[in-house]
Amino acid sequence: MESYLELFISELEEYIRQLNKQLLNLESNNRDTSSIIEVFRIFHTIKGMAQTMGLDGLSEVSHSIEDLLDEAKEKGEVSPSLVDFLFIAADLFSKSAVALRNKKELPPVRDILDSMAKIKKGEVLEYYKEEPGTRDIGEIRIKMEKLDTLFNLANELTIARSRLLKLSQTLKDTSLQNLADTASRLISSLQDEVMHLRMLPLTTVFEFFARWFRDEAKQQGKEVSLEIVGGEIEVDRSIVDVLKEPLMHLIRNALDHGIEAPAVQREKGKVVLKAVREKERIRISVIDNGKGIDLEKVRHKAIKNGLLNETEAQHLSQEELFRLLTHPAFSTKDEVTSISGRGIGLDIANSTVGKLGGKLLISSQLGEGSCFTLELPLSLAIIRAMIFKLDGQRFALPLNYIQETFYAHEDMFQTVYHRELFALRDEILPLVRLSDRLGWVGKRGRKSVIVVQTQAKRRGFVIDEIIDEEEVVVKKLDPLLTSPFYSGCSIYADGSPVLILDPRGFG
Amino acid sequence: MRVLVVDDAMFMRRMLSDILEKGGHLICGEAATGKEAVERYKELKPDLVTMDIIMPDMSGIEAVKEIKKMDSEAKILMVSAMGQQALVLEAVQAGALDYVVKPFQPSRVLESIDRIVEK
Repeated sequence: MESYLELFISELEEYIRQLNKQLLNLESNNRDTSSIIEVFRIFHTIKGMAQTMGLDGLSEVSHSIEDLLDEAKEKGEVSPSLVDFLFIAADLFSKSAVALRNKKELPPVRDILDSMAKIKKGEVLEYYKEEPGTRDIGEIRIKMEKLDTLFNLANELTIARSRLLKLSQTLKDTSLQNLADTASRLISSLQDEVMHLRMLPLTTVFEFFARWFRDEAKQQGKEVSLEIVGGEIEVDRSIVDVLKEPLMHLIRNALDHGIEAPAVQREKGKVVLKAVREKERIRISVIDNGKGIDLEKVRHKAIKNGLLNETEAQHLSQEELFRLLTHPAFSTKDEVTSISGRGIGLDIANSTVGKLGGKLLISSQLGEGSCFTLELPLSLAIIRAMIFKLDGQRFALPLNYIQETFYAHEDMFQTVYHRELFALRDEILPLVRLSDRLGWVGKRGRKSVIVVQTQAKRRGFVIDEIIDEEEVVVKKLDPLLTSPFYSGCSIYADGSPVLILDPRGFG
Repeated sequence: MRVLVVDDAMFMRRMLSDILEKGGHLICGEAATGKEAVERYKELKPDLVTMDIIMPDMSGIEAVKEIKKMDSEAKILMVSAMGQQALVLEAVQAGALDYVVKPFQPSRVLESIDRIVEK
């Protein structure tokens, strides 16, 4: 056996070199089947050689890896975590080669075998602990729940910061104020960093559409390409999770209703999926160069479906007509295809972004194409809100719904058919008395009015007093307390709870 | 007996060759891939082939099929690492006459060859 050792070692080293090369390739393209097969072959060959040399540890490791790779071969892809793990296995093999050369004891294989047993059971390795100093670990894997815990703690800290700042202002102690300012800056940075940990590039959703689009277009016999722009923009994971469905509806609509059949196409069909970041918001658009939306058809359909009468229909603005498309039972396509009926998809897209505090924007030019845009906050956890008082209780209202505020005395309200209205410049603004709707007793006399715009309407919310404008951390309400009027709760700077209003819940 | 040794690892080829030579056989050639095996067989017309299964280019099983197409009398012994039992069976169906599993005893390899020759 001794005489073969040198040959064994040098060939093992050569296989390790090849292995590292293939693994690097798999790291950038984890679906390269020829690489997967090659990696499998390398481990298989090493196994045969190690068995022949009587190196049971190495052959056992190779054998287990073969089993792991069998599944990958079938699926035609290796998970990034498996690739990471295989790098570690490659390192173990090269350490073994060095040990053999120096006639030293081989490194133990117990740990790596245990890890593999875990992988086989479907457990995700957090990270594989290496002997210190052997390899620089640039990245580690962290369980999502741990990240969420960290995130919640950072949020709690934000609340403590507000309280600290308020307290230091009240006490007017210079050294306390300095300390509070420093702590506040640090907490802000920490908050930012933790927030970024939760961010994922949009590519994670977008890349799915590249393939899906090709198949859908083919199935419909349409000649059309998909261009993807802005996939590198990062948004909160909770948003990435829910984006797929609305985007699928929008892209499907573009394919189904926008892009025409090759026979009647003016030019080659093109759909653009594009993300643009604007400060704290992101706009994701689906743009097609298809036939556009025929507003006359929309008008007729709305009348036919009983959504509007003739006069109403003639007075609707272009924007209002587009908005009709998001009505649950609306479809302008004469026969609703099995693939999509315009109304349903848009209704879902609209309500999904609505829940996330965003909106759906529609624009279209007949004969030129359409553009559907989802406008969303980058993160859901912290929002800017107006804090106001009603019957001594504090509430928060997200700023993105608020258009303006003004003082008004109750005497200035007019009642028409039991509904209160306010003449604001040349507009009749319907009023909503929050005290009545929420079951609180508002004080009489001078009131404040917050003009709120939801997708459906513009209304004035009548409240007692505006206090402040603040960043609030959104927390989920206990399921027992859920109500359409509230989207969550938060803790105010003084430690008292604040309910966050959801204006869309007021009908 | 003139033997063609096929394995993608040089280490394995060397070891097998040594065993076979000690058993009184002559190594007429070596191949590291399935394709190479087929070409060398055409060229050398060996009395016997030892064939690995998992190799680059073309698997040992494909190579057995190709060689059998060329020469239905070809005598092939499969030499594979454990864990490939299903593939060994496939190789036998394709026309291989026997198999040994790595790690092998030299005597086991030579016995197999004797058995094949008697067949």
